[in-house]
Amino acid sequence: MQKQELRQGINDSIPIVLGYLPLGFAFGVLANEAGMSIIQATMMSLLCFTGAGQYIALGIMQAGGAAFTIILANALVNLRYLLFSTSLVPYLKGHVPIAIGSLLSYGLTDETYAVAMNRYQSHPPTPSYIAGLNLSSHIGWIISTLLGAALGTYITNSDRLGLSFTLPAMYICLLVFMTRSKSDIFVALSSAFLCLLIGYLVPSTMGNLFNIIIATIIAASLGMLINEQ
Amino acid sequence: MNSNSIWIMIIGVSIVSILPRILPVALLSRYEFPAPLKRWLSLVAPAVLSSLTTLSVLAPDGFIDISINNSFIWAFIPTLLVAVKTRSLLYSLLTGIVTMALLYNFIC
Repeated sequence: MQKQELRQGINDSIPIVLGYLPLGFAFGVLANEAGMSIIQATMMSLLCFTGAGQYIALGIMQAGGAAFTIILANALVNLRYLLFSTSLVPYLKGHVPIAIGSLLSYGLTDETYAVAMNRYQSHPPTPSYIAGLNLSSHIGWIISTLLGAALGTYITNSDRLGLSFTLPAMYICLLVFMTRSKSDIFVALSSAFLCLLIGYLVPSTMGNLFNIIIATIIAASLGMLINEQ
Repeated sequence: MNSNSIWIMIIGVSIVSILPRILPVALLSRYEFPAPLKRWLSLVAPAVLSSLTTLSVLAPDGFIDISINNSFIWAFIPTLLVAVKTRSLLYSLLTGIVTMALLYNFIC
């Protein structure tokens, strides 16, 4: 265990945890309203750790849907992680043992992926760094859920604090860091345009996040073509 | 949904959210990817990040909202400027959060 790397991972998770606070809290509150106990809501955040998927579960529960429907919807929403995880493989190779890398990938989310990929552009991954980043993000998610489920009714609007913009602000900044070459900028702009266009033309992709997957695949492929010329 | 169904749902969701994260690292790490595939995969991160940024700003509530009433667009502008200018995550976050708080409390 490298202390320095672990600490760096924990440090890098701070913006994520800050962003998860209102989201996890709101999930806890809504889960309670949808009929989940405090333990169930907290266990869901512990076992699933999928913000979008957990919110979808609540939506389907409240609409009277079946457990199977929720599981199927989550299978679709979480397909994007196949892409994230695969793109991490070349970075982890030779730096992180496969078994440890696989276990720690449990904590792979949109946010930890964005932060980790940004870090790997200049530093090789280490198990300690990933553990620091992923585990503290996960703990933040679990605790904020627990707080929301337990105290939800006592706390009023957290929008006043502006925390709803934490994750968008983090994405914006990481995007700026990560688009250095012209082809990166081209890929980023294509992906932004495509995910909006697909979301607009096929609104259901906004719910299952397929627009992210399709836009990413097309934009990365376009980036390859541009580069070859 | 009764308590048992909820537990079944949680375990099912857990399986379908963990497998796609773990399986690629677990199964594909043994192979050496060909160079073009590596190059393609290196473009996945900027593409994903750009999609996430776009949706988080232009569709903060899950549906596309490109209008002057979308406060996320207003908060986006100073945050982007500060990110480009300072290249500091901390300053960018502070700018975004403070702008959002001001917008929420005094304008929207």
